Amino acid sequence: MADPPIVILVLSVCMLPFLLLAIFGILWSIAYPAMLIYAVLFSGQKLNEQIEDTTSREISLRESLGRDPLTTVDGGYRTNITDCGVVWAGVVFGPSHWHLLIGKINNLIGGSIDIFQKVVAAGRAEAMQRLRENAVANGWDDVINVRIDTSDMAPQGSQSTVKAVEVFAYGTGVKYG
Amino acid sequence: MVQGILVVNTETIPGMMITETLGVVSGSTVRAKNLGRDITQGLRNIMGGELVKYTELLEESRQEAIGRMVAEAMSRGATAIVNVRFATSAVTAGAAELFAYGTAVKAE
Repeated sequence: MADPPIVILVLSVCMLPFLLLAIFGILWSIAYPAMLIYAVLFSGQKLNEQIEDTTSREISLRESLGRDPLTTVDGGYRTNITDCGVVWAGVVFGPSHWHLLIGKINNLIGGSIDIFQKVVAAGRAEAMQRLRENAVANGWDDVINVRIDTSDMAPQGSQSTVKAVEVFAYGTGVKYG
Repeated sequence: MVQGILVVNTETIPGMMITETLGVVSGSTVRAKNLGRDITQGLRNIMGGELVKYTELLEESRQEAIGRMVAEAMSRGATAIVNVRFATSAVTAGAAELFAYGTAVKAE
Protein backbone atom coordinates (compact mmCIF):
# COMPACT_ATOMS: atom_id res chain seq x y z
CA MET A 1 0.00 0.00 0.00
CA ALA A 2 2.89 2.32 0.76
CA ASP A 3 4.73 1.60 -2.52
CA PRO A 4 3.13 4.03 -4.99
CA PRO A 5 3.77 7.16 -2.84
CA ILE A 6 7.48 6.24 -2.46
CA VAL A 7 7.86 5.70 -6.22
CA ILE A 8 6.22 9.03 -6.90
CA LEU A 9 8.44 10.72 -4.31
CA VAL A 10 11.66 9.30 -5.82
CA LEU A 11 10.53 10.19 -9.33
CA SER A 12 9.61 13.72 -8.38
CA VAL A 13 12.96 14.24 -6.61
CA CYS A 14 14.76 12.98 -9.73
CA MET A 15 12.70 15.23 -11.99
CA LEU A 16 13.11 18.36 -9.85
CA PRO A 17 16.31 19.65 -11.54
CA PHE A 18 14.78 19.20 -14.98
CA LEU A 19 11.59 20.93 -13.83
CA LEU A 20 13.61 23.90 -12.53
CA LEU A 21 15.54 24.01 -15.81
CA ALA A 22 12.27 23.99 -17.78
CA ILE A 23 10.85 26.81 -15.64
CA PHE A 24 14.05 28.80 -16.12
CA GLY A 25 13.90 28.20 -19.88
CA ILE A 26 10.28 29.34 -20.13
CA LEU A 27 11.01 32.46 -18.04
CA TRP A 28 14.08 33.21 -20.15
CA SER A 29 12.16 32.89 -23.43
CA ILE A 30 9.65 35.46 -22.15
CA ALA A 31 12.07 37.77 -20.36
CA TYR A 32 14.84 37.94 -22.97
CA PRO A 33 12.76 39.57 -25.76
CA ALA A 34 11.44 42.09 -23.22
CA MET A 35 14.98 42.94 -22.10
CA LEU A 36 16.13 43.14 -25.73
CA ILE A 37 13.31 45.62 -26.51
CA TYR A 38 14.35 47.63 -23.45
CA ALA A 39 17.96 47.58 -24.71
CA VAL A 40 16.85 48.66 -28.21
CA LEU A 41 15.01 51.63 -26.75
CA PHE A 42 17.43 52.80 -24.06
CA SER A 43 20.97 51.40 -24.59
CA GLY A 44 21.96 54.19 -27.01
CA GLN A 45 20.81 56.77 -24.50
CA LYS A 46 22.70 54.99 -21.71
CA LEU A 47 25.92 54.98 -23.77
CA ASN A 48 25.55 58.70 -24.53
CA GLU A 49 25.00 59.47 -20.84
CA GLN A 50 28.12 57.45 -19.96
CA ILE A 51 30.21 59.38 -22.50
CA GLU A 52 28.83 62.71 -21.25
CA ASP A 53 29.56 61.77 -17.62
CA THR A 54 33.18 60.79 -18.41
CA THR A 55 33.74 63.96 -20.46
CA SER A 56 32.33 66.27 -17.80
CA ARG A 57 34.49 64.63 -15.07
CA GLU A 58 37.54 64.93 -17.30
CA ILE A 59 36.88 68.62 -18.03
CA SER A 60 36.28 69.49 -14.35
CA LEU A 61 39.47 67.66 -13.27
CA ARG A 62 41.48 69.35 -16.00
CA GLU A 63 40.15 72.77 -14.95
CA SER A 64 40.93 72.17 -11.26
CA LEU A 65 44.53 71.06 -12.07
CA GLY A 66 45.12 73.45 -14.95
CA ARG A 67 46.61 70.65 -17.10
CA ASP A 68 46.21 67.01 -18.10
CA PRO A 69 48.22 64.91 -15.59
CA LEU A 70 48.79 62.02 -18.04
CA THR A 71 51.77 61.85 -20.40
CA THR A 72 53.13 58.94 -22.43
CA VAL A 73 56.70 60.26 -22.36
CA ASP A 74 59.29 58.84 -19.96
CA GLY A 75 59.44 62.05 -17.94
CA GLY A 76 63.12 62.73 -18.51
CA TYR A 77 62.51 66.45 -18.95
CA ARG A 78 61.71 67.04 -15.28
CA THR A 79 64.55 66.59 -12.79
CA ASN A 80 62.89 67.68 -9.54
CA ILE A 81 61.00 64.41 -8.93
CA THR A 82 61.03 63.40 -5.25
CA ASP A 83 58.77 60.33 -5.12
CA CYS A 84 57.25 57.84 -7.56
CA GLY A 85 55.17 54.68 -7.76
CA VAL A 86 53.04 52.68 -10.15
CA VAL A 87 49.36 53.58 -10.53
CA TRP A 88 46.70 51.81 -12.57
CA ALA A 89 42.99 51.70 -13.41
CA GLY A 90 40.90 49.21 -15.35
CA VAL A 91 37.36 49.01 -16.62
CA VAL A 92 35.39 46.18 -18.23
CA PHE A 93 33.09 47.63 -20.85
CA GLY A 94 30.74 45.94 -23.29
CA PRO A 95 28.31 46.81 -26.07
CA SER A 96 24.62 46.07 -25.53
CA HIS A 97 22.99 43.24 -27.47
CA TRP A 98 21.29 45.84 -29.66
CA HIS A 99 24.67 47.36 -30.50
CA LEU A 100 26.03 43.87 -31.23
CA LEU A 101 23.15 43.34 -33.68
CA ILE A 102 23.85 46.67 -35.41
CA GLY A 103 27.53 45.73 -35.56
CA LYS A 104 26.76 42.32 -37.13
CA ILE A 105 24.56 43.90 -39.81
CA ASN A 106 27.20 46.58 -40.42
CA ASN A 107 29.81 43.80 -40.71
CA LEU A 108 27.93 42.33 -43.70
CA ILE A 109 28.16 45.62 -45.56
CA GLY A 110 31.73 46.22 -44.46
CA GLY A 111 33.47 49.52 -43.91
CA SER A 112 33.94 51.17 -40.55
CA ILE A 113 31.79 49.80 -37.73
CA ASP A 114 31.12 53.09 -35.96
CA ILE A 115 29.04 51.63 -33.13
CA PHE A 116 31.85 49.39 -31.81
CA GLN A 117 34.32 52.23 -32.17
CA LYS A 118 32.05 54.40 -30.03
CA VAL A 119 31.64 51.72 -27.33
CA VAL A 120 35.37 50.95 -27.04
CA ALA A 121 36.27 54.65 -27.12
CA ALA A 122 33.81 55.27 -24.27
CA GLY A 123 35.41 52.48 -22.22
CA ARG A 124 38.90 53.77 -22.90
CA ALA A 125 37.98 57.35 -21.95
CA GLU A 126 36.49 56.01 -18.70
CA ALA A 127 39.65 54.00 -17.90
CA MET A 128 41.89 57.02 -18.52
CA GLN A 129 39.66 59.24 -16.39
CA ARG A 130 39.85 56.68 -13.56
CA LEU A 131 43.64 56.65 -13.88
CA ARG A 132 43.64 60.45 -13.45
CA GLU A 133 41.31 60.20 -10.44
CA ASN A 134 43.41 57.38 -8.89
CA ALA A 135 46.56 59.45 -9.34
CA VAL A 136 45.00 62.51 -7.71
CA ALA A 137 43.58 60.38 -4.86
CA ASN A 138 47.04 58.87 -4.21
CA GLY A 139 48.65 62.31 -4.10
CA TRP A 140 50.65 62.18 -7.35
CA ASP A 141 51.21 65.38 -9.32
CA ASP A 142 51.62 63.73 -12.73
CA VAL A 143 51.49 60.29 -14.33
CA ILE A 144 54.34 59.60 -16.74
CA ASN A 145 54.94 56.73 -19.17
CA VAL A 146 51.23 55.92 -19.51
CA ARG A 147 50.40 52.69 -21.36
CA ILE A 148 46.94 51.49 -22.37
CA ASP A 149 46.10 47.81 -22.91
CA THR A 150 42.88 46.43 -24.34
CA SER A 151 42.05 42.76 -23.92
CA ASP A 152 39.06 40.70 -24.94
CA MET A 153 36.97 39.17 -22.11
CA ALA A 154 35.27 36.85 -24.62
CA PRO A 155 37.99 35.21 -26.74
CA GLN A 156 37.14 33.87 -30.20
CA GLY A 157 35.64 30.43 -30.16
CA SER A 158 34.75 30.31 -26.47
CA GLN A 159 31.20 29.71 -25.35
CA SER A 160 30.70 33.05 -23.72
CA THR A 161 27.56 34.84 -22.60
CA VAL A 162 29.42 38.10 -21.99
CA LYS A 163 30.80 40.22 -24.81
CA ALA A 164 33.13 42.83 -23.36
CA VAL A 165 36.62 44.27 -23.51
CA GLU A 166 38.83 45.21 -20.61
CA VAL A 167 40.65 48.50 -20.98
CA PHE A 168 43.57 48.81 -18.58
CA ALA A 169 45.62 52.00 -18.21
CA TYR A 170 48.77 52.24 -16.09
CA GLY A 171 51.67 54.56 -15.54
CA THR A 172 54.14 55.89 -12.99
CA GLY A 173 52.84 58.52 -10.63
CA VAL A 174 55.41 61.18 -9.74
CA LYS A 175 55.60 63.91 -7.12
CA TYR A 176 57.51 67.12 -7.83
CA GLY A 177 59.60 68.66 -5.08
CA MET B 1 49.05 51.41 -3.94
CA VAL B 2 51.98 48.96 -3.69
CA GLN B 3 53.34 48.24 -0.23
CA GLY B 4 56.93 47.51 0.78
CA ILE B 5 58.91 48.24 -2.37
CA LEU B 6 59.28 50.88 -5.07
CA VAL B 7 57.50 49.85 -8.28
CA VAL B 8 57.63 51.97 -11.43
CA ASN B 9 56.98 51.31 -15.11
CA THR B 10 59.74 53.64 -16.32
CA GLU B 11 63.19 52.36 -17.24
CA THR B 12 64.91 54.44 -14.57
CA ILE B 13 63.88 55.62 -11.14
CA PRO B 14 63.78 59.43 -10.98
CA GLY B 15 66.33 60.68 -8.45
CA MET B 16 67.94 57.27 -7.83
CA MET B 17 70.83 55.27 -9.26
CA ILE B 18 70.40 51.62 -10.20
CA THR B 19 73.47 49.75 -8.98
CA GLU B 20 72.60 46.13 -9.78
CA THR B 21 69.93 44.20 -11.71
CA LEU B 22 68.62 40.98 -10.21
CA GLY B 23 66.73 39.55 -13.19
CA VAL B 24 63.12 39.37 -14.25
CA VAL B 25 60.47 38.89 -11.58
CA SER B 26 56.88 38.05 -12.36
CA GLY B 27 53.59 37.25 -10.69
CA SER B 28 50.43 35.84 -12.18
CA THR B 29 47.00 34.74 -11.10
CA VAL B 30 43.98 33.13 -12.75
CA ARG B 31 40.62 33.99 -11.28
CA ALA B 32 36.95 33.49 -12.05
CA LYS B 33 33.74 34.73 -10.52
CA ASN B 34 31.05 32.27 -9.44
CA LEU B 35 28.20 31.20 -11.72
CA GLY B 36 25.71 33.56 -10.07
CA ARG B 37 27.89 36.57 -10.86
CA ASP B 38 28.36 35.32 -14.43
CA ILE B 39 24.57 35.19 -14.85
CA THR B 40 23.97 38.68 -13.41
CA GLN B 41 26.78 40.13 -15.52
CA GLY B 42 25.35 38.35 -18.57
CA LEU B 43 22.00 40.05 -17.90
CA ARG B 44 23.71 43.41 -17.40
CA ASN B 45 25.56 42.88 -20.69
CA ILE B 46 22.23 42.92 -22.59
CA MET B 47 21.95 46.60 -21.74
CA GLY B 48 25.65 47.27 -22.42
CA GLY B 49 27.98 49.52 -20.50
CA GLU B 50 30.33 48.75 -17.65
CA LEU B 51 30.32 45.34 -15.97
CA VAL B 52 31.14 46.44 -12.42
CA LYS B 53 31.69 42.99 -10.88
CA TYR B 54 34.16 41.99 -13.61
CA THR B 55 36.02 45.27 -13.10
CA GLU B 56 36.28 44.45 -9.38
CA LEU B 57 37.37 40.89 -10.16
CA LEU B 58 40.22 42.09 -12.38
CA GLU B 59 41.24 44.75 -9.84
CA GLU B 60 41.50 42.14 -7.04
CA SER B 61 43.38 39.71 -9.28
CA ARG B 62 45.81 42.39 -10.38
CA GLN B 63 46.53 43.30 -6.75
CA GLU B 64 47.31 39.63 -6.13
CA ALA B 65 49.58 39.33 -9.20
CA ILE B 66 51.49 42.47 -8.21
CA GLY B 67 51.75 41.17 -4.64
CA ARG B 68 53.35 37.94 -5.88
CA MET B 69 55.77 39.87 -8.11
CA VAL B 70 56.74 42.10 -5.16
CA ALA B 71 57.22 39.05 -2.91
CA GLU B 72 59.56 37.44 -5.45
CA ALA B 73 61.57 40.67 -5.79
CA MET B 74 61.88 41.05 -2.02
CA SER B 75 63.04 37.44 -1.64
CA ARG B 76 65.90 38.32 -4.04
CA GLY B 77 66.82 41.31 -1.93
CA ALA B 78 65.71 43.96 -4.43
CA THR B 79 64.82 47.49 -3.37
CA ALA B 80 62.81 48.37 -6.47
CA ILE B 81 61.14 46.94 -9.57
CA VAL B 82 61.52 48.93 -12.80
CA ASN B 83 59.91 48.71 -16.25
CA VAL B 84 56.83 46.87 -15.03
CA ARG B 85 54.47 45.56 -17.74
CA PHE B 86 51.01 44.07 -17.41
CA ALA B 87 49.38 41.46 -19.63
CA THR B 88 45.88 40.03 -19.54
CA SER B 89 44.56 36.94 -21.25
CA ALA B 90 41.20 35.23 -21.03
CA VAL B 91 41.76 31.50 -20.52
CA THR B 92 38.07 30.65 -20.93
CA ALA B 93 34.98 32.79 -20.72
CA GLY B 94 34.78 34.37 -17.27
CA ALA B 95 38.28 33.31 -16.15
CA ALA B 96 41.10 35.76 -16.69
CA GLU B 97 44.83 35.43 -16.27
CA LEU B 98 46.55 38.56 -15.00
CA PHE B 99 50.29 38.71 -15.40
CA ALA B 100 52.67 41.38 -14.11
CA TYR B 101 56.41 41.35 -14.79
CA GLY B 102 59.36 43.65 -14.37
CA THR B 103 63.07 43.87 -13.58
CA ALA B 104 64.15 43.64 -9.96
CA VAL B 105 66.96 46.07 -9.18
CA LYS B 106 69.01 47.42 -6.33
CA ALA B 107 68.79 51.20 -6.27
CA GLU B 108 70.04 53.86 -3.95
